[in-house]
Amino acid sequence: MSQRTPVNKTRHTAKDERCFDIVIYSVAAVIMLIVLYPLLFVVSASFSDPAKVLGGEVWLLPKGVTLDAYINILQNDKIWTGYGNSILYTAVGTTINILMTLLAAYPLSRPDLPLRKGLMLIVTLTMFFSGGLIPTYLLVKDLGMVDTMWALIIPGAVSTYNLIVMRTYFQSSIPWELQEAAHIDGCSNWRLLISIILPLSKPILAVMVLFYAVGHWNSFFNALIYIRREEMYPLQLVLREILLISQSDAVDGSVGLEDKVLLAESIKYAVIIVSSLPVLIMYPFVQRHFVKGVMIGSIKG
Amino acid sequence: MKRKQWGRSAISLMIISGLILGGCSSGTGGKKDTAPEGAASNAVSKEGFPIVQEPIKLKMFTRIAPVNGPFKDMPVFQDYEKMSNVQVEFIEAPTDGFQEKKNLLFASNELPDVLYRSGLTPLEAVRYGAGGQLIPLEDLIRDYAPNLTRLMEEYPEIRAAITTPEGHIYAIPGIVTLGSARTDKKWINRAWLEKLKLQVPETTDELYDVLVAFRDQDPNGNGQKDEIPMTARVGLHIVTMMSGSFGLDQQFGYNINIVDDKVEIWMGSERNKEMLMYLNKLYKEKLLDPEVFSHTEAQYLAKQGSGKTGVFFDQTNNNFLPIADQYEGMAPPAGPHGDRMQSQASPVPRDPGAYAITSENKHPEASIRWIDYFYSDEGSTLLRFGREGEHYELKDGIPYYKEEYSTSETQPKITPYAGGGAPHLISEQVSSYINPPQVQDAQKKLDPFMPEIRYAAPMFDEKTAQEVNILRNDIDKYYEEQSTKFIAGALSFDKWEEFQSTLKKMKMDQLQQLYQDAYDKMKK
Amino acid sequence: MNNMEAPPGANLPPSRPNRGSRLLVQMAKRYDLYLMLLLPIAWYLIFHYGPLYGLQIAFKNFNPAKGIFGSEWVGFEHFTRFFDSYYFWRLLRNTLTINLISLLLAFPIPIMLALLVNEIRSKAYSKWLQNITYIPHFISVVVIVGILTVMLSVNGPLNMLIQTFGGDPVRFMESASWFKTIFIGSNIWQNMGWQSIIYIAALSGINPQLYEAAKIDGASRMRRIWHVSLPGIVPVIVILLILDVGQFMNIGFEKILLMQNNLNLEASDVISTFVYTTGILKGEYSYTAAIGLFNSVINLTLLLLVNRFARKTSETSLW
Repeated sequence: MSQRTPVNKTRHTAKDERCFDIVIYSVAAVIMLIVLYPLLFVVSASFSDPAKVLGGEVWLLPKGVTLDAYINILQNDKIWTGYGNSILYTAVGTTINILMTLLAAYPLSRPDLPLRKGLMLIVTLTMFFSGGLIPTYLLVKDLGMVDTMWALIIPGAVSTYNLIVMRTYFQSSIPWELQEAAHIDGCSNWRLLISIILPLSKPILAVMVLFYAVGHWNSFFNALIYIRREEMYPLQLVLREILLISQSDAVDGSVGLEDKVLLAESIKYAVIIVSSLPVLIMYPFVQRHFVKGVMIGSIKG
Repeated sequence: MKRKQWGRSAISLMIISGLILGGCSSGTGGKKDTAPEGAASNAVSKEGFPIVQEPIKLKMFTRIAPVNGPFKDMPVFQDYEKMSNVQVEFIEAPTDGFQEKKNLLFASNELPDVLYRSGLTPLEAVRYGAGGQLIPLEDLIRDYAPNLTRLMEEYPEIRAAITTPEGHIYAIPGIVTLGSARTDKKWINRAWLEKLKLQVPETTDELYDVLVAFRDQDPNGNGQKDEIPMTARVGLHIVTMMSGSFGLDQQFGYNINIVDDKVEIWMGSERNKEMLMYLNKLYKEKLLDPEVFSHTEAQYLAKQGSGKTGVFFDQTNNNFLPIADQYEGMAPPAGPHGDRMQSQASPVPRDPGAYAITSENKHPEASIRWIDYFYSDEGSTLLRFGREGEHYELKDGIPYYKEEYSTSETQPKITPYAGGGAPHLISEQVSSYINPPQVQDAQKKLDPFMPEIRYAAPMFDEKTAQEVNILRNDIDKYYEEQSTKFIAGALSFDKWEEFQSTLKKMKMDQLQQLYQDAYDKMKK
Repeated sequence: MNNMEAPPGANLPPSRPNRGSRLLVQMAKRYDLYLMLLLPIAWYLIFHYGPLYGLQIAFKNFNPAKGIFGSEWVGFEHFTRFFDSYYFWRLLRNTLTINLISLLLAFPIPIMLALLVNEIRSKAYSKWLQNITYIPHFISVVVIVGILTVMLSVNGPLNMLIQTFGGDPVRFMESASWFKTIFIGSNIWQNMGWQSIIYIAALSGINPQLYEAAKIDGASRMRRIWHVSLPGIVPVIVILLILDVGQFMNIGFEKILLMQNNLNLEASDVISTFVYTTGILKGEYSYTAAIGLFNSVINLTLLLLVNRFARKTSETSLW
């Protein structure tokens, strides 16, 4: 938005614009405050004495400042193994996701694809009906994927929701005339996809990478079902295990359960921060691709 | 003291012999070498160790709690492997997701040899047993499990609780003969009582007065009204803890009274109404923790440790050790009709479905013998305490953890008891840690008021079990929601009759009949 | 404004007599598109349609020992059990109202947020707004509920505020009348930033020349939002709306379960928590499958209706 040169430079509109800006900026400020407060709470809680957090004494600034939670996390080998695993699963998984979704979404976005409706129906129906846990488990088992990384990646290779979103983007944001023109120039569909569609799809690809990656990063259920070896656990499962000290552990009065519970209580805030960091860092890089003006120049007239 | 000596030497003897035999068993032929080569030649000895001459392997599927470390690093399993010649490979599934993984093993027929610490519900045991995936154990127990047999003779309720109507046993429970490990003590703040010059309450009315004093007279002396007169675990824990004072028992692990061989589900009774009205009074006047229906386990434990609580309930004093001398146990208060009962108490077979053998298992006899050892004091000592000298020391014949194994970090790493549900015997002999003098004293206050016999949830046949399950889904949910509302005052007692008639509509009578039938069958 | 409408001729492929062979010709011409689809469609067939035989357990008494095929048929027994449950109507009512309110309130907010972000001229400021609003998405539900409990407890900050203004403290977490407000409000708080990402991306795909043209025509900022930005993302909005309605009967159970207590159950008892507590936790696969199937049928019906409606009014649809 660098070259903003208002043509109708009457005073009236300029004033309007300024009012509008003020409103926009203040609404945004209010939203940020509302969102920030609980986030600050999480940060404060992660540095506070857990008993004070539970007792409701912390509500903005840390009370009884301590770094125990972070030290505890740093010393935990399982967390680091989990971190490594999660990064691997996320990287491999997201790559496969993007490829598969692209291969499905593009053809299905083409209005000239025969049988498109039927194929879309096949895809959409899967959002509503699934065979359930047992047959899926048997399938994964028969494919020999139990206790391997692939059990976490292949069964979820395409998210129908994301596929539909991507297809909608192709349909609505990439002019059909452009594709037709390319066709007339003798461009094959593969070439079309790679050299015309992809460069025009950066924003949606960025979103898809973000959605899939975060999905992998946060997922635990498949690992819970399919992964047995502890050294293969993703981060989320490790964290759940640490946080999940339940009443059943109190049977026979396990030693110092209170310490354990309080520890779990205290590290849960630090854990949120530590485990969200990679994704938080990733976002600004992804967001770069949301820049405007990708279409300039691609459109003929 | 004789016993101690015996136990001690027996253990060392067995460990030593285990070591020797484990070390050089490969070449030496056993006594029963007459049978042909192969698995059959490896006969299972009926007593003594090793269990088998040639090492065998068993795959056990087990639950591992967040506090535990890997089972293969625990002294009990290392030593016992040498002793028994049975090599166990544990497939460890964490508590989180254990239920799903366990069900999937059965659903996909990928069975291990044994399920260890598996917490099978009676319904699951019957279902998988009737389907042939679990094998019946009653004959094996008779022939190969002397310790279990002895316990089952001593406590008939064990057999009753685990035998199906057809006479089969599909899973073995964790057995708790120590009374103190089966009750939640009633802890009262003695320091506050002394400061306010009050007596330990003997009746529910006195309890009320004491709680009022706790609330109003600033017993912790900080000038603030931050005392919580009484609290409990989230939900209706408070009801189980108080029901004995109103003549309401907890038989069959349910809201059931058994009087003169008659089973009565008391949820709609007048006595229950009285109790709820009493609790409602406490709640209304802020004598009962206002957060009792919403706080978390962590918050509850934090309250125990904070010293700001007057009365609360827990099995041990472990969670408030630093301030434990402020508290003491009290007896159940007598109710308006003079009832005085500790109705909350787990049965002797406390942890159901802890050990089961599948149809895949090629060594069922050895598997039974393997587990039977842990139903003796020696075996249980090995399981809970590890090696003498290294992990524990004997004082007056009773094992005590060494200092370094008394922390929440170290102890659960050496024993699978921590985290609950392990199949073994918990007797007085092995409970120095969970039953220190203060807890013993608190239990002594309860002892005179304990029920004579405590029936565990009965075994129904598969069809009846399903029927009970369906009936209870609606009834229990309704009962819990309405009771909570009565106590919290969100529902007025004018609606009591509606409550009763809805319970009827949900076929509570039919449910009662099913329990009555189970009871009658058991008595026969 | 051409680019956001359905492409001309999209819905009317040349269909003349002799359809069959024409279709084949059309297909052969675009064989490479099918080549692209090969892998994804094969995946759909194997991983989604393959296990569908498992649906039959909704009509059977699934017994693990006998397997899915060996279990006995019981017809609609599990369905009747659900419909006859004392709680059926309450579950249905709560599920529907929570979703309806979410649709009316929680659905439009991310769109407005995206438009807001789009209007902020300062790059840095808009980045801050985006970065901050999307963070809550990563906080686990356990912690969210923990924060809610602290904030809304009797001696928490909110009740302090109420008391300084002379009000009586409110037990927010233990009241049926507050439950839906808290649940939906915190959902909005947590997810508005994340859900706005799609719209922001879609907005960035709008041709800037359209804005310039509108500006030259003298359109005010509001008018530009209304006539350029919004129409530009209508297809995305419509699709997400259709998908949302298609999930009408599903609410995540974890958060509700954590917030649930007997005092707010009147408002917080929904189908998904019911399935979890009476079905999954007790290993009742058949019962769970039956309720799931019931949900799916309703969801699918809604989806088809909305999709048809959307196609008629906005020319955007799933197929």
